[in-house]
Amino acid sequence: MTRLLLWSALILSVLLPAPAASAQATEPRHIATQLIAETDTPTAGSIVSLAIHMTPEPGWHGYWKNPGDSGIEPSVQWTLPRGAAAGPLEYPVPGRLIVGGLMNYVYEGPYALLLKLKVPDGLAPGTPLPIRGKFDYLVCTKEVCVPESADLALDLSVGAPGTPPTRRAAFDRFYQALPKPLSSEARFQWEGGRFRLFVPLPDSMAVEEPYFFPLTDGAIDYAAQQKVTRNGDALIIETQAGAQQPSSVEGVLRLRDGYGLSLTARPGVVSAGGPDAPGQGAFAILAALAGAILGGLLLNVMPCVFPILSLKALSLAKAGGDEAGARKEALAYTAGAVAVCLALGAAVLALRAGGTAAGWAFQLQDPRVILLLLLLVTAIALNLAGLFELPSIGLGGGLASAGGWSGAFWTGALAAFVATPCTGPFMAAALGAALLLPLPAALAVFAGLGLGLALPFLILGFVPAARRRLPKPGPWMNRLRHILSVPMFLTALGLAWVLGRQSGVDGMTIGLAAALLLGLTLWWVGRRQGEGRFWLRLAPAAAAVAACLMFLPLGNEGQATASSPLAGEAFSEARLAALRGEGRPVFAYFTADWCITCKVNEKGVLQREEVSRAFSEHKVAVLVGDWTGGDAAIGRFLESQGRSGVPLYIYYAPGKAPEVLPQLLTVSRVVSLTQEDS
Amino acid sequence: MKAFPFALVAASLVAAPALAQPQIGQPAPNFRALDVNGRAVSLSDFRGKTVVLEWNNPECPFVRKHYNSGNMQKTQAAARKDGVVWLSINSSAEGKQGHMDAAKAKAVIAAQKAQPTAYLLDPTGAVGKGYDAKTTPHMYIINPRGTLVYMGGIDDKPTPNPADINGARNHVLAALSELKAGKPVSVPTSRPYGCNVKYKDS
Repeated sequence: MTRLLLWSALILSVLLPAPAASAQATEPRHIATQLIAETDTPTAGSIVSLAIHMTPEPGWHGYWKNPGDSGIEPSVQWTLPRGAAAGPLEYPVPGRLIVGGLMNYVYEGPYALLLKLKVPDGLAPGTPLPIRGKFDYLVCTKEVCVPESADLALDLSVGAPGTPPTRRAAFDRFYQALPKPLSSEARFQWEGGRFRLFVPLPDSMAVEEPYFFPLTDGAIDYAAQQKVTRNGDALIIETQAGAQQPSSVEGVLRLRDGYGLSLTARPGVVSAGGPDAPGQGAFAILAALAGAILGGLLLNVMPCVFPILSLKALSLAKAGGDEAGARKEALAYTAGAVAVCLALGAAVLALRAGGTAAGWAFQLQDPRVILLLLLLVTAIALNLAGLFELPSIGLGGGLASAGGWSGAFWTGALAAFVATPCTGPFMAAALGAALLLPLPAALAVFAGLGLGLALPFLILGFVPAARRRLPKPGPWMNRLRHILSVPMFLTALGLAWVLGRQSGVDGMTIGLAAALLLGLTLWWVGRRQGEGRFWLRLAPAAAAVAACLMFLPLGNEGQATASSPLAGEAFSEARLAALRGEGRPVFAYFTADWCITCKVNEKGVLQREEVSRAFSEHKVAVLVGDWTGGDAAIGRFLESQGRSGVPLYIYYAPGKAPEVLPQLLTVSRVVSLTQEDS
Repeated sequence: MKAFPFALVAASLVAAPALAQPQIGQPAPNFRALDVNGRAVSLSDFRGKTVVLEWNNPECPFVRKHYNSGNMQKTQAAARKDGVVWLSINSSAEGKQGHMDAAKAKAVIAAQKAQPTAYLLDPTGAVGKGYDAKTTPHMYIINPRGTLVYMGGIDDKPTPNPADINGARNHVLAALSELKAGKPVSVPTSRPYGCNVKYKDS
């Protein structure tokens, strides 16, 4: 009997009319809605922030713009005074709720949907501004869903200019919950049933359970697991692709609870984040590899490499027709070049994994390495110039001069090591890609660089016809040697300059003194050519070099931190006004820990000595606005500058209009600012 | 009486299609489930006929939008007039919204004047998961060769408001008339909208 009653109740409930707006108004709702304004008296022509504040009952949830596998997007139809206009709803970072294996993007606690309202121009203070809206949304528990409709109503009136907003604190909280726009471009790859998203994010930015909430439907399978990998300045999300390949993907990357970045990703190649995804993005790896080999090939004509290589070519020519010997040498040379490239690549990857911001040619950041290179290059140059001979060994310098296998191997190693500073401009793209590839692929790219470098010798070694094209050995070889010492000396000069930049005049002097000492020693060695065990005589020079290494000032790091322009004051509009009132020039910059462009500008430009010197010379005050936490005051200031996010760089010269700088800074641009007003 | 549905539930589980997302242009996964008369119904029973699958939960407001307005019944009548098979499938798990035993379901169908060829009960969710059915309603069309030719929403106005039915494009009717005319389905997928299918908690 009771069952029958229950059935009839169910059937009745099924047959009841679907809830319409009119019916809803009388029923109690599961989300309390309230329309509020940042100020009830906005001035004519201004833009006022409105919020639809939503308070779901416990156990109930409202939906994000993209509701997920089910549910619907909230919608509102406004009835506004003539001339007023409402912007789109802005949503805070949502949460996830999986029910029965289906994904829901929801809000389970109180939240606020925000929008901007343009107040009509030319209205007298006191003019009433009735704001009305019919707001439809879906509210659900894990069991049931109820479409609700609310009649939003708010009566504002035009206020006199200068009245401060009354609900600023509450709105600051609302705005803080919105995702921040990512300043750099994200990429996605939708291929083979997998979706991979690459987001540039500084590796210093801490995250907790990152998750990508897609706004574009069909891009991903909502309920599928998302695998997150961080690799240097890259955050990669991999998951199952959705049903339809999108042309671009919008969404919000959650970085931690209630905090995220909004982004638009363009199609591109995104390699798998971890080493456990073999075969993925094979094309990308091949392209990077091809780039690396080509780059390596180009290195052969670099001034810092060419002399070493010509030496090798000469020795090959000397080897004459010995097929097997030529092949062995070519292979050994290749092995040396590849081994050094691999070792350097592995070191870069290891340093990056350890959290150091190391780039290619990182070893040249250490002045001790520069000094060693300086001495090595000086020795090679002196040898080329004929100051000393290493008769039992043949042409070349140092270990590279040893004959046969090991000599060829070390020549290749030396070429690769010396070549790295030249690789930078040519190889930046390929090597940058390599840093994002899975480990084996990344190493393959580095090996490709070495292979490219060694390619001409492989050809000479294995194609006798090519070798026969080499000119016959003769007295011209000595002349060529002497000529080739010139680019080598130039390389030494360049290295001395780098050393000077790194460790100052003292460091450079020590380096040059060491080079002189080495030269004298080698000269002395050269005078006694032919005597046995002459390497022993190099011992004093080696000791001197070791001493130099110990005394060499290790960079100007201390100096850099002391004068870092980043040690600016925290930005506030009041402080800015006060400094400008004093007639001080002010450089204000706005940054966030997740903003990679910001970090690049800070490391590459703002932290440079030239900039700090220029700023301190001209008494430029530096104000730093850190928007990492979404500080509302900074957000409002950015907005007042027409920006939705960071980076932003503004220079306030005394008595002049503020100058907004481009998002990518250069040292000369920043330094020139301070010179404009003096 | 109680034992027999369990046996068939078990049978339907065994016959459940593998968990793979159905794809347009691919063979629609076969399934077997009990209808409200206790009869086992398989998709393969209808080879040679066009079949519409409709995921149903009579208590979901979005389903009620289309039944209380008569829109779903009208769509069913138009389809069946042309010899199309209409299978309504209820994947609500026991204890979840919309779950019904056979007798209750029969009463609801009669009260709604619904006209499906069969109303299938899928309390384990095996059929629903096999089709990756997400919402009620969620619609699928399978052509006489057994190929999936449409999946998505009933129409293009994703609201619970019956007033929005007028002026909406009924994707199912449009696809059926294209199939009848021997044309390819011009809108083979759309985003389904509605309540989530009330699968059992896994």
